[in-house]
Amino acid sequence: MSANTARLQRFWLGIGFVCVLLLAIACAQAEIAIPPFKKHVTDLTATLSAQELAQLEQKLTAFEKAKGSQIALLIVPTTRPEAIEQYSMRVVESWKPGRKSVDDGILLLIAKDDRALRIEVGYGLEGAVPDAKAKRIVAEIMTPQFKQGHFAAGIHAGADALIGLIKGEPLPLPSAKHSSGSRFDADSFVSLLVLSLVLGRMLQVFLGRLIGSGVVGIGLGLIGWMFFSSVAMAAVVAVAAFVLNLFLNANPGIYRGGHHRWPDQGYRGGGLGGGGGFGGFGGGGASGRW
Amino acid sequence: MRSALIIVVIVFASMIGGCGYNTLQATDEQIKASWAEVLNQYKRRADLIPNLINTVKGFAAQEKEVLLGVTNARARVGGIQAIPELINDPEAFAKFQNAQGQLSGALSRLLAVAENYPELKSNANFRDLQAQLEGTENRIAVARNRYIKAVQEYNTEVRSFPGNLTAMLFGYQTKPSFTVENEQEISTAPKVDFGAPVPAEN
Repeated sequence: MSANTARLQRFWLGIGFVCVLLLAIACAQAEIAIPPFKKHVTDLTATLSAQELAQLEQKLTAFEKAKGSQIALLIVPTTRPEAIEQYSMRVVESWKPGRKSVDDGILLLIAKDDRALRIEVGYGLEGAVPDAKAKRIVAEIMTPQFKQGHFAAGIHAGADALIGLIKGEPLPLPSAKHSSGSRFDADSFVSLLVLSLVLGRMLQVFLGRLIGSGVVGIGLGLIGWMFFSSVAMAAVVAVAAFVLNLFLNANPGIYRGGHHRWPDQGYRGGGLGGGGGFGGFGGGGASGRW
Repeated sequence: MRSALIIVVIVFASMIGGCGYNTLQATDEQIKASWAEVLNQYKRRADLIPNLINTVKGFAAQEKEVLLGVTNARARVGGIQAIPELINDPEAFAKFQNAQGQLSGALSRLLAVAENYPELKSNANFRDLQAQLEGTENRIAVARNRYIKAVQEYNTEVRSFPGNLTAMLFGYQTKPSFTVENEQEISTAPKVDFGAPVPAEN
């Protein structure tokens, strides 16, 4: 009898738990999802015609090629239940427009049904586009056009104004590397090689010099493949790791100093620090309504 | 013999990594950095205020009470030393937070009053200042949010196994986070006055 009630209790508890879980998932999904960052212009409301989209895309791409700064445009129907500032912060934290440590990205966010827009300015452009100027672009250039339903014109004018402001800012020149498809990341290459030395040292103790180096070479090749998603890069990493281990690592004197350090730990510590992957944002910019 | 030593060293090093010591260090540094950003943005707001008050004075000098409220709130904020060590003292942290909350309240009253002065509202200088203030408030919100996240990460590490053992060993304690800044102001309904004889209760 009591065992039965206990089982029943557990059953209801389980049901309750599942309900809470479902509710939590539902709540989490209530926030508007962030679309993937594929192009400069993302229109989820079909406000802009294909031609207008292409024109804007071309303008922003050309500007990125010339100056390096990235201006992204996102048009969503609504940002509710969040305020436009909160949603826009989530978008830039996910998209990270702008270059690494230059932080020269701008997000132009339009919530059409909320009749609200926001210019979110990256750290590196807060000097070129201070809040007051962003506010003027919103209030004096863009919203008057939006009020009359001229969305494309308003966006073009706003983008032109932003481009004009950023042009005057001394920024590092755009690098050819950035625009090409596969990026060579020197940091991860070096840290992979250091990792290989450490692993190699361990494996060589167990397996002997040649086999140990071979295993490390193959392993690093696989990791490199995942890292760079290119077979050629993986092969380079594998050969480099093999050679390095065979000839360099065989000398046990390397670690005699005792300053041994896990390379991936140092890497993780660095990655946590603020700005993140590419463009960093701190909430600068201005919002407006029409 | 030497290879055995190396293995021992490697195993030990990986154990240090595994017991959460490095995570504690990293999250602790992250808290410090995000707290510095919070202070930075509060400072930025405080720096805007003299200019704002002067501009408003030019058009609405008769609003003495509101202007004085902002000045006093700013003085109170300035009276609390905004040192980074604040995050290790929950009491001082609460005091600081309270003072900043009062300043937020005084500022929003000032902006609300400014709505009654069309000349002030259309003044370019005032509009720029208002945009800057809005931007700064938003930056404060972002910085606070990031601080809350950093504290959460750190506190989780300090309180969960095996980080709690490491934290105990090295004397790391949980850190205070932000609560709602102006509880009193939120619990009292704002007075809405459209200038029409409409009861504006709740």
